[in-house]
Order: sequence, then structure tokens, then C-alpha cells
Amino acid sequence: MGMTRLPPEIRPVLENGTPAVMVTCSADGKPNTTVISQVYYVDETHAALSFQFFSKTIRNVRENPRAYVCVFDIRGQAHWVLHLKFERSETEGPIFDAMDMQIEAIASMTGMSGIFKLRAADVYRVLSVEKLPFSRWAAADLHGSGR
Amino acid sequence: MIPGKILRFLEQHANVAFAGTRNRDLVPHGHKVCGWRVGADQRTMTAFVAEEFTPGLVESLRENRELAVTVEEFPSHETYQFKGRYLSDRPVRHDDVEIVDRIRRRFVRSLRSMYAEVPESILGAFVSNPSLAVEFEVLEVYLQTPGPGAGTRLIPPVES
Repeated sequence: MGMTRLPPEIRPVLENGTPAVMVTCSADGKPNTTVISQVYYVDETHAALSFQFFSKTIRNVRENPRAYVCVFDIRGQAHWVLHLKFERSETEGPIFDAMDMQIEAIASMTGMSGIFKLRAADVYRVLSVEKLPFSRWAAADLHGSGR
Repeated sequence: MIPGKILRFLEQHANVAFAGTRNRDLVPHGHKVCGWRVGADQRTMTAFVAEEFTPGLVESLRENRELAVTVEEFPSHETYQFKGRYLSDRPVRHDDVEIVDRIRRRFVRSLRSMYAEVPESILGAFVSNPSLAVEFEVLEVYLQTPGPGAGTRLIPPVES
């Protein structure tokens, strides 16, 4: 079976610091969801997620390496759904340094300076990737009748 | 029981949510939630799931009943996670769609300054149309707002 590769069009979405959510599952079968501030493009077959203070998520992927990530591309009107498998954690080196710098930039843009702190860069293999366009809805509803 | 402070957060401030489930092989899956309603007894919640995120959802819930839903106010990042047990599912009703419309307007208002160049119709499209309502019993509530307290269990309170 061939390796899943991240398509080139996802790279600018990830590099824009787009928010994402992550779902993991403990060994005893309890799912856990969390918002993540960064999905880092490592190479065509790997992505890295920041380990900051999501202790349950971190525990879960070390018990059960499977993870689900959904990246929201608001400008592109699409979700990117990634199924991942945890491979390793890095606390130094080029991936860690690049993520650390990106996290500081995101923290500063979102008023979270001093709160976001990278403890490790967790590197995952991409098992699958899927682009799901936003579903259509009537824009007129946005200005609906005084509700 | 969901406390009043969190109830007010859910009803007046929160604008983004996502649900997590897992299948029989412990593979996690995510489901975009575009609206929510708290039961009158404040012990149950109903999550309205976007149509494109429903495949496999009901099968997993009926198989193991495990569900987690994270609800956030963006851009303040106040966030709570609700973990519980699946009770039932049904197609969305008109009054559910009205709740989703309110959340969509709240979401667009919150993001307008950050995405000034993006038309409101595009921002609004982020809050997808719901197709399925999933009711669950809330067993645990966790604080997930970024910071040192993230991950703290609020309900039931942790014994000191």
C-alpha cells in the first residue's frame, strides 16, 4: 500500500496558523477533543502538533497512537480532515525551533502571549487526508428577522 | 449538572464546537457541531451535527455510547469539554435550526474584525447546516481554556 501524501494546497492553510481541533482516544475507549493552535507541515507524509498543556491528549496518543485532526480553512471554505499516527516527540532541533517561533507569532496575534509555550513537537505520520467543502447555506439567513 | 455560569456561556457566548467519538477499534473520529441545546434538567445536552460530518457517527455511538464535545468562544478562547454517554439521535427540527442561525450570527460578529476582508457570507458558511441532533448525558465537564488550569475537571469536582 502506498504512503498517503499531503497535497501541496494544504501547506499554505497550515502555514497560516489556521485553528484546528484534535480528537484522541484513551486505551480504555474514552474520546477526548481539544482545540489546537497549530498543525505544522513537516514533509509530504508527516505533520507535527504542538505539545503545550493538553495533558489528556498527550497521555492518550502515547497509549493509543491514532489521532484525528480537522483544520478549518475559513477563506478556502473547506475542512481538512487528517487521520494521523503518533511517531515521536522532539524537544529540540529544526522542527521544534520552527514550531516554537510559529507558536510565539500565533500567541502574539491572538493575545495569548506568555500562555502558549511549546514543550515538545509531536510528529505524526499522515494515514489519510480529505478535503471537505463547507456545506451550502442561505446567506440571507445571516441577517434574519431580528432573532 | 451543568452549572449556571457554563450554561450562560453555552447560551450567550460560545460560537464553535466539535464532537469526538471512537469506533470499535478505538480509532478516534471528529464531527463538526454547529449548535447545541442544554436539557431543562441541565444534565443532558443535544449537539447539532453538520451534515458532512455524520457518516459513521450513529454507528459508533450505538456501539459504544462514548462522546466528547468541546465548545469554545472564539476569539476569547474560553473553552469547556463535555464528556458523556449517548442517549438518542434524531433529524434536526426547525427550532434547532433557529439556534444554529443565532450561533452563526454570533460567530460572524466575533470574527468580523479578524477577517475584515472576508465577506460575511463566507464567514457564515463556517457554521454548517446541521442534519442530525445527538442527545447525550453529561457526566463530566473540563476546563479547556488555554492556560495552567486547562484540563481541570470541573464536574464532578475533583476531591482535594
